[in-house]
Amino acid sequence: MTTFDLIGFLSSIQIWSVVKIFFLFALLLYVVFSFVVIKQVQLMTETINQAELPLRAIATVHFLVALFVFILAFLIL
Amino acid sequence: MSDIYIAKEKQEKKPRLHHGRKPSIFTAFAVSPAEVSFETQERDEQVVAFLRMHLITNVPWLFLTLLFILAPLVLRFFPLIDFLPFRFQLMSIIMWYLLVTAFVFEKFLAWVFNVYIITDERIVDIDFHNLLYKEVSETKIDKIQDVTFKMGGVIRTIFNYGDVLIQTAGTELKFEFHAVPKPDQVTKILQELRTQEEVEALEGRVK
Repeated sequence: MTTFDLIGFLSSIQIWSVVKIFFLFALLLYVVFSFVVIKQVQLMTETINQAELPLRAIATVHFLVALFVFILAFLIL
Repeated sequence: MSDIYIAKEKQEKKPRLHHGRKPSIFTAFAVSPAEVSFETQERDEQVVAFLRMHLITNVPWLFLTLLFILAPLVLRFFPLIDFLPFRFQLMSIIMWYLLVTAFVFEKFLAWVFNVYIITDERIVDIDFHNLLYKEVSETKIDKIQDVTFKMGGVIRTIFNYGDVLIQTAGTELKFEFHAVPKPDQVTKILQELRTQEEVEALEGRVK
């Protein structure tokens, strides 16, 4: 492997690592957002007691899916 | 002199409403709904009407959602992310659908929880403007000075929904119920409640 090949290889690793960090950061923001949605639903259902649908359960599942995608991204990217 | 003929009084057919029943998550208009309560409700306060914006007002964002769901198909014809390795492409599409889910959930919650409640004592307007910010406006029925409803346009006429404007003498001078179903009946309910309050006030004075 020549020096140029090595520099190119190292650069390519660094670029995709940086891209991975950006992806993980975006997903982390989404995980935080999905947690806030759980709080939002809690606040809403305390204000109005009417909803039949298990909105809290849906919000929790949404959060767990976001967390799962974050972990998946961490593993496969 | 005995009566020759007495015409039968015409009985107005009252529309079939959710009288006394628990409204579903998709109900936009319910009179005397069962099992509906709100945060600042007093113990003996009865909910007379429970309103939301008409279901049809959700069509624009539902249509957008459909476009968003189909959007990744464009990548077959316009390879916008082909420069990324496959694992990044896959993650990009997953993140796109997560964002679509967030959009749908927020729009749905905004529709479900932005409600207008008419009780036997007051009217309450509950608005959730964004994540964790809510605004609850209320005024007593006896503070209402004027009630007007507006219903115009093809869609609103077909689906029978409109705006109800309420002028009050309280701090909040104007309440507006946007795009509620059966605005004429909402106006009628408010007028009946106002009459009831006036009668109660008179009876109170007499007693």
